[in-house]
Amino acid sequence: MNKKIKKVLIANRGVPAFRVIHTCRDRKIETTAVYSTPDRLATHVFLADSAVHIGEAPPIESYLNKERIIDAALKSKSNAIHPGWGFLAENHEFAQMVIDAGLIWIGPPPNVIKSMGDKIQSKKLAAKANVPTIPGVNGVKSAADIEKWMKTEKVKYPIILKASKGGGGKGMVKVSHSKELASAISKASSEAKKAFGDDKLLAEKYIEYGRHIEVQIVADNHGNIIHLFERECTIQRRNQKIIEEAPSPSIDETLRNEICVTAVRLMREIGYVSAGTVEFIFDPDTRKFYFLEVNTRLQVEHGITELITGHDIVRNMIDIAQGEKLKFSQPDIHPNRWALEVRINAEDPKTFNPSFGRISRLQLIPGHSVRVAQGVYEGSEVPPYYDSLIMLIMTSGANRQDAISAMERTLSRNLRIEGIKTLTPLLLSIIRHKAFQTADFSTRFIEEHIDELVSTLDETCVDDELHKIARFVAEVSALGPRNWM
Amino acid sequence: MKAKEITAIVRSLKGVMFTSTGMRDAGQSDYKNRLRIHDLQTLCEHYNETNFFSAECHGGARWHVGVMNRKEGPFEEIRILREKMPNVLLQTLIRETNLWGYRPYSKNVIEYVVERVDIDVWRCFSFLNDVRNMKTVAEVVMKRDKLFEPAISFTQADWTTNEYYLRVTKDIVKLCGGHEHIILCIKDMAGVGSPERIYSLIDAIKQKYPELIIQYHRHATDGLALPAILAAARGGAKIIDVQEDSLTRFYGQAPVLAAHAYLEESGIPVHINADAAEKAVEKVRAWINNYHWAESPFKGFDHTVVKHRMPGGAFPSSFEQAQKGGFLNFMPAILKVMSLFNQIIKYFDVTPGSQITWVTCSGIINLYAKERGEAGVSHIIKLLQKFVEEKKQDFKAMSKEEQAELLTIFANAPGDFKNLILGHYGKLPQGWPNEWVYKSAFGEEWQQKIKERKELSPLDTLPEDDLDKIRKEFDELLNRESTEEEFILYLMHPKDALGLIQFRENYGDSSLVLPTNVWHEGLKHPGDFVEFEHRGMPYCIELVSIGSENDGIIHVVMRINNKTMVHPVETPRVKKTEIKIAKKPNEIGAPIDGTVWRIGNSERGAIHPGDIVHKGEEICNLEAMKMENAVIAPFDAKVLEIAVKLNATIKEGQLLFALEKISLKSN
Repeated sequence: MNKKIKKVLIANRGVPAFRVIHTCRDRKIETTAVYSTPDRLATHVFLADSAVHIGEAPPIESYLNKERIIDAALKSKSNAIHPGWGFLAENHEFAQMVIDAGLIWIGPPPNVIKSMGDKIQSKKLAAKANVPTIPGVNGVKSAADIEKWMKTEKVKYPIILKASKGGGGKGMVKVSHSKELASAISKASSEAKKAFGDDKLLAEKYIEYGRHIEVQIVADNHGNIIHLFERECTIQRRNQKIIEEAPSPSIDETLRNEICVTAVRLMREIGYVSAGTVEFIFDPDTRKFYFLEVNTRLQVEHGITELITGHDIVRNMIDIAQGEKLKFSQPDIHPNRWALEVRINAEDPKTFNPSFGRISRLQLIPGHSVRVAQGVYEGSEVPPYYDSLIMLIMTSGANRQDAISAMERTLSRNLRIEGIKTLTPLLLSIIRHKAFQTADFSTRFIEEHIDELVSTLDETCVDDELHKIARFVAEVSALGPRNWM
Repeated sequence: MKAKEITAIVRSLKGVMFTSTGMRDAGQSDYKNRLRIHDLQTLCEHYNETNFFSAECHGGARWHVGVMNRKEGPFEEIRILREKMPNVLLQTLIRETNLWGYRPYSKNVIEYVVERVDIDVWRCFSFLNDVRNMKTVAEVVMKRDKLFEPAISFTQADWTTNEYYLRVTKDIVKLCGGHEHIILCIKDMAGVGSPERIYSLIDAIKQKYPELIIQYHRHATDGLALPAILAAARGGAKIIDVQEDSLTRFYGQAPVLAAHAYLEESGIPVHINADAAEKAVEKVRAWINNYHWAESPFKGFDHTVVKHRMPGGAFPSSFEQAQKGGFLNFMPAILKVMSLFNQIIKYFDVTPGSQITWVTCSGIINLYAKERGEAGVSHIIKLLQKFVEEKKQDFKAMSKEEQAELLTIFANAPGDFKNLILGHYGKLPQGWPNEWVYKSAFGEEWQQKIKERKELSPLDTLPEDDLDKIRKEFDELLNRESTEEEFILYLMHPKDALGLIQFRENYGDSSLVLPTNVWHEGLKHPGDFVEFEHRGMPYCIELVSIGSENDGIIHVVMRINNKTMVHPVETPRVKKTEIKIAKKPNEIGAPIDGTVWRIGNSERGAIHPGDIVHKGEEICNLEAMKMENAVIAPFDAKVLEIAVKLNATIKEGQLLFALEKISLKSN
């Protein structure tokens, strides 16, 4: 195979577009950005070499509009498409359409996306590869179906409902009691339909104090499947990760080896190619891990793996898509530091309600050991239609404590965002929390500690105070002495 | 130092000490309390060396005006002053049960507040000289071993004799359980005491209580302050109130350097470091010109104060109100009515009495002016003059028509006036007014009202407040937990306290750090800049340009620590899209910002006005950033109104539904 990538269209916006375009620039590959109407002046548009308008605000008309995106690729003379994460990244139909249009798909083969996208099928394949799985039932339509399964397999509440096609927390609903079941099914299937176009659900036993550990895989077309070790993504809110780290503080070397080898075994079984992730839920009491799902895409948190291994995963994806062999083998991978990532989401840090509007001020002073992926700029709009992630901040250090200290430094005085609310104050309280610092947590960490976390949110910064004073000077200068004086 | 130790030292001194009112009453009397702590604190280093007995820097109207107009908190002022002049006793002025507000507070509120304010000398006055009302303040202050300084409200009238004041003094000494550990203040708040009268009064008290320390507080309004304070010192007053000469206009206290020179020349030693006092006087000149806008529009001494008795502290604000209300031309008439009014209803024109007098008398004049013009104004003055001066308030001696007219003059009097004559503030010093006043104020209900009149102090009649409940309400309004200091501000002036907190949340410490010219008028010309320090860091704000108004917005470009930023400023003409917010219990608001993607739910479909919804039923669903948020009916209800359209973008709190609660019985 000789498919030289000359120009890449990034079928995405915000942080993922930012990330992919940067590697393309390292490789001297030209890029095309696509944008919806409200994103006309968005960050990613101006990072690319060219940009194409693909439709109106609703995702279905723009970033999920397969035909328009492929047209944009052809029109801009791009010969490859990278989907980033979210939107069409795990849409096998789109991947096939890209290939059928004579373009290079920078991602796993459509059939692999399809088989792993179906939660039920992926679980079967995992079981076949001798990977431990959580008890569950597929294709759920009614409460009766679920109750029957629970009875047969002796499963007790809580359980969790998920979109069969899903990922990223959308369409996931936890059910703690039989009386919540009916409304949970209706909510989960509606969200599943909206996010993934399919309302089929999967029900599973819910492991209450589990930890989320995942293994990064890169695989080429020549049978080389290599893992880049694991990440711990236990700190979540509403089933969405907000803090990730690598390596995992929850496991020892033996378990680490076991979980990584298991992931490779699974990916080999399913014929995986490109970068992907095998997700596990880890039960610290029994020290057992169970297969959750395979993410057939680049993940938000891939950057911390890049920080500990030194490898550029997007670069690997491009190499693999060009048909190249991986230039390294498993023994070449030596993680040699600790990395931490936080997701700066445009959300209220107390309620997690989304926040959108114009970013009136954005100041970030990244010092040493800090990596940033920024999907917005000072003055830009955060529109209400898309994902709330506006920025990723990663830090690294020789050990976990160093990485945490660098993060605290970066989030406290060195980051100011005004005009919208962000998770920043909450992220700061989490990393300062004793339980986080001793890695004593589960996926329920935030709900369990929310009051305590919220009570320590406020941090006034001299600089913010200055801007309040400046606002007063502006008003009195423009309007004259105020009538209440 | 304990209260008794302080009084012992003062007692042992030959001559007098001074209290400086430069940080409170001086600014209240001539600058409407607008002198900012930013400027006043420049005096601290000198006050710390001047050897004042105390600095009156707190209380009176300074508290409320700080919260309302200067956007300074009284607690932060105390902290700044404590830090910068640790040698000086800080003094407040407190209005017995009315504390730093304008109405009587319940006993537990008084205790809660007085226990928590870091003040050394508590000067406490009653505008009725109703000593019973001072009880709770006195108890808490003395229990804390702070210095309690009860004040007798002084005026010069036929009934304010030495015998009267000796009775008041006796009540005070009894209330305080002795006279060794207190200081008695004679509060000549209008500046009306003639030198002879003051000498006679102080001498009479000293004869009765030779060990009692007397402090003389006097305004300068009549122009006789200096001879009066000399008379007070000769009579035996140990402490005299003064202010910086450079702060002096007309209605405040006597100038410190002049008073010092005059007393010393008269053979009375003054325990003061005059060099330090002089430095403070000079320091004032550095900033006082930034306050021309705050000065009273009525300039010059006013010897007629001996008749109308408007207190110095109320002078500039009354004239300001008259100016704003467009009746400045009627001020002489109002002052005349005041001089007659205070012979009909006898109390002391000091807060809240001065406000009651002012609102009542200006109300009478304004009503006559509105209905009958200038002729009406002179008519009512003539009528009152005839009644008071000619007929010596013999109601029956007036003609039938005149009686009928007198019976209308208090009909529109403010509620506070009516509360006053019903005893809500305490007992009037010369007893209740004549019956015709009640007839005039209450019409046919007058007899009933007299029956309801309270003879007890409000301390005994006001029920305790549920502080936990009030605090909870306040926290809900703030949407966070309040601090204790914020809560006290709220107890005094609820609306204005919220305004202050809101201001500080929006504009930070602007009111503390900006110099007064910038605070008041902003930066004028491109290139103008202001430099200041805040929490130990240097800052600079420079004006680049002020744009012209467009659609009600003015863009102000500034360099803030060298970084250029654009601030859009809304003018009153800005177009605002009105968003209806859910407020009532039957109104359902949006829990988040988002878009309405479904009204109703998946099972029953769309919901329309008139439909019945059940408790717990999803009535609409909002989406934001791909997450769904169900809105649930909080009770069984009929839908009265759906305030949003499908696919509308909505803000958090925005009204979605108005519901009518119904009860659905199962059979």
